Amino acid sequence: MIPIVTALDAVSVYTPAVRVPIESLAEPLGLTDMQVRLFRRFHGLGEISLDPERSLADLLRAAIDGIGALRGREHLVRYVVYGRAMPVVVPYPDNPLHEVCREAGLGHALAFTVTHQSCASGLLALETAGRLLEADPDPDALALVLTGEKAFTRDARLLPGTSIFGEGASAGLVSAHGPRDRMLSFACAQRGEFDTEFGESAERFQREYRPSLAGVIREAVDEAGLALDDIALVLPHNVNVVTWQRLCLLMDFPVERVLLSNVPVNGHLFCSDAFANYTTARERGLLREGDRYLVAAVGAGAGATFSAMVFQH
Amino acid sequence: MTAPEAQVDTELRPRVVEAMTEVIARLSERDGPVTEDMDMADELGLSSSLGLELLLEVEERLGVQIDVENMRTDELRTVGQLATFIASHCRPW
Repeated sequence: MIPIVTALDAVSVYTPAVRVPIESLAEPLGLTDMQVRLFRRFHGLGEISLDPERSLADLLRAAIDGIGALRGREHLVRYVVYGRAMPVVVPYPDNPLHEVCREAGLGHALAFTVTHQSCASGLLALETAGRLLEADPDPDALALVLTGEKAFTRDARLLPGTSIFGEGASAGLVSAHGPRDRMLSFACAQRGEFDTEFGESAERFQREYRPSLAGVIREAVDEAGLALDDIALVLPHNVNVVTWQRLCLLMDFPVERVLLSNVPVNGHLFCSDAFANYTTARERGLLREGDRYLVAAVGAGAGATFSAMVFQH
Repeated sequence: MTAPEAQVDTELRPRVVEAMTEVIARLSERDGPVTEDMDMADELGLSSSLGLELLLEVEERLGVQIDVENMRTDELRTVGQLATFIASHCRPW
């Protein structure tokens, strides 16, 4: 019997070529000069990808087009799971997900969106895709995981004092038996008490952010049967640099093993950070065969979700 | 521990304290004096984002870059503790 695992067979990431320095966002986002300088000095932000001329469907289309491993295998794709931070992004009844699926020859697939874990929904989509494939009787069945977001309102573009969002999309081809990048564990903590309508103060969220993220990271590493030292690389959410510097001190983990180089060039790409950082790690040869690496994400908004996944490359 | 082996720059430290107390008084909108033994979060009400603003202003006033990568914020509660850290973990711009 072939062992069932969740395997990330191929990944494609698209970010618009139009890049703007964060200083030019001060006026549209209502940022003071001090806030911009803080973002650059401590948060490590530099520029953001934005393209007002490209729609959400355009972003998703570009990500799907980049995934060469999909060509000729469209008929094997049973599920398309779209992980997105924003619950509503187009006027009803438009649905860019179904539009791009039809265009890509995936109109037959069961396609749906998960949004309830905000920026951690990308990892949720990946895990959901794995579970659907595990339950599918066809061992050759595939799933396509999509992420992608437009940053088109002030609330969607700015996390005050924390990060600035950019635009981008990703596509990941998932199988149950693939040889590459097998998921070893997934830990997820949903914290409803941080719901902005009913929960505690923002200060408490700030205080508990790093310990909570450290908690799911340790849980995922433990569940994978590993120690933190076994993790060759961390692919972070690109919320900012200082958060990861402090988290690493808290966990006694070398910050040099956290891939933070996309923070100054992309900003925070909602659910796409994990996939963008994975692509960068591959391009730079930072992952060798057999390496175990960890992907982390935090979704904040209506409550908070802290997630971590361990993979073997 | 906050890197105990680091050497405190005794000439720089009083200037750090002076800059910090001025900036903190403004950020916390405090009329009374700010002293080294005060807890920055509990007594002076500095949030983490105001804490970063404090660091940036100290850097710019003194022309130094603070080694925030090694800053354990949970162990730097008081004005004096942070001043000591800065005076032992910074370099000129």
